Amino acid sequence: MSYEFDEIVETIKMTELENFDIRTVTLGINLRDCIGSDIKTTKNKVYEKILKYGRHHVQYASEIEKTYGISIANKRIAVTPVSIPFDCFGSDELVELAVTLDKAAGEIGVDYIAGYSALVQKGFSTGELELIKSIPEVMKATKRVCSSVNVASTKAGINIDAVNMMSEIIKKTAEVTKDDNSVGCAKLVTYCNIPEDNPFVAGAFHGVSEPEVTLNVGISGPGVVLDAIKEAGNVDLQKLAEVIKRTVFKTTRAGELIGRKVAEKHGIPFGIVDISLAPTPAQGDSIADVLKAMGVEDVGAPGTTAALAMLNDAVKKAGLMASSSVGGMSGAFIPVSEDQGMISAVKSGNLTIEKLEAMTAVCSVGLDMIAVAGDIPAASIAGIIADECAIGIINDKTTAVRIIPVYGKTVGDSVNFGGLLGEAPVMKVSRLKSDNFVNRGGRIPAPMRSLTN
Amino acid sequence: MKITEEEIRKITQKTIESLGKSAPLEKVEREVASLIKEIETSENPAGSSEITSGKIILTSFGINHPGIVASITKSFSDNLCDILDISQKILGDFYTMIMIVDITKSLKDLRSIQEEMNKISEELKIKIYLQHEDVFRYMHRI
Repeated sequence: MSYEFDEIVETIKMTELENFDIRTVTLGINLRDCIGSDIKTTKNKVYEKILKYGRHHVQYASEIEKTYGISIANKRIAVTPVSIPFDCFGSDELVELAVTLDKAAGEIGVDYIAGYSALVQKGFSTGELELIKSIPEVMKATKRVCSSVNVASTKAGINIDAVNMMSEIIKKTAEVTKDDNSVGCAKLVTYCNIPEDNPFVAGAFHGVSEPEVTLNVGISGPGVVLDAIKEAGNVDLQKLAEVIKRTVFKTTRAGELIGRKVAEKHGIPFGIVDISLAPTPAQGDSIADVLKAMGVEDVGAPGTTAALAMLNDAVKKAGLMASSSVGGMSGAFIPVSEDQGMISAVKSGNLTIEKLEAMTAVCSVGLDMIAVAGDIPAASIAGIIADECAIGIINDKTTAVRIIPVYGKTVGDSVNFGGLLGEAPVMKVSRLKSDNFVNRGGRIPAPMRSLTN
Repeated sequence: MKITEEEIRKITQKTIESLGKSAPLEKVEREVASLIKEIETSENPAGSSEITSGKIILTSFGINHPGIVASITKSFSDNLCDILDISQKILGDFYTMIMIVDITKSLKDLRSIQEEMNKISEELKIKIYLQHEDVFRYMHRI
């Protein structure tokens, strides 16, 4: 098979100049068979099982990186939501279990392990309550463990009791990790319609309908899309959509190839490729820059939501054409602290939390990596989570909130989390109260699916 | 790998011979089915190895000077790599070159060849990228 000169140059340009990389290869491991008669045997079983499948994860991924010349930014592990198999334990024991997860991840050499999770959209089991209660302590006691709690779904509605509980947990996590800029909250996501096969940490877990072990891959590539849009010049929006699709098609194909090859090396089934455009704090790897290249002056300008909607839709169409294994979130991420362009839009006052909320209605994955003042009332966080969940259940999509009420900081300050988590300017939140609404408690009923206006 | 009807017939005959002519039909059927499954999985192991070729693509660019092609091709030749295609362009002081190379007969694997190329690229102060062909096929061909 021969290739055109231009085709080869295009691939080299993507991998070498435009920051195209595979954002994550995430090994999903089922822990449902790891329950023992007491916490000690359970911990041993969990540790052994994660090591059994994950021992060579980093090495295999590195080998594939070299063979194909495409770098894999992160190698990670996702496990069965801990509250499911380990429902019988109390919060102290669950903390011990989380420390074991942390230790296993350290031994394997991955930076994050996700799945300290509970699915409580309809209500709580005893174990789930214990798990949620233990989250602040886990975030303090571990470095690599990520937690997610699903509080709403289109089929169940929004569990406002869980939303209230999570807002308290977020505040408490911020407090117990205050020495590290409340970084614990950066590893804790509150979800609506959580996908079971999402490879992106912190919200990843290995869903109950997944096989024993599987490999999911998340691609990246805002830099590649940005350059393609710039090269296209002043074309109309249909042509621009075509340009985006063409580019994402190629990155998805590469992503699937890498995922399949890593899975093949492990000798395990390949799961899905998540086609989300995921930014990093690196220059030129920004969704905000893509939106600006599309034509809005800055993120937050009128038209931003439309541009993002078009971008997200084009990404999905191209991804679905390129792979039959698309799953996870598969949209465009707009985390504030992890995207240089978003950071500067917030700093210059162009982007507010309200506009961000509107943007999350047309893309994945919600209000992500938002720093707010540490003295924000828990009820306001609950209100923000409830708003996001409402967008999720009504539009039948995944939304999430990863909000960091940075202890001791106020609007105008900036917090540096380091590495991929980036830098977050503290955003202003309306001081209007939502207490009387969220404190009613109970559940917002599941929405109707017809008369969709 | 797909097994033809002819092959299935042969497998069945052999099975009947080994089980004896009086063996019940269900037993023969079961035996044949398991044999076919074994053959299919053994020749097509987990994953999709059918797309893998033994070809690699070398891309090189930098400031043009004598000896670049010679150094690269000598290394390929020493390692029993077969060059299938070369295309090269000069733009002012710069050159770009692309080679498609078959490494199936080489005693070295891609990684060791990459290491040798890294040495050459340092010596000659040029860029050399070596990637498996699959990534190009996946990206540019449906």
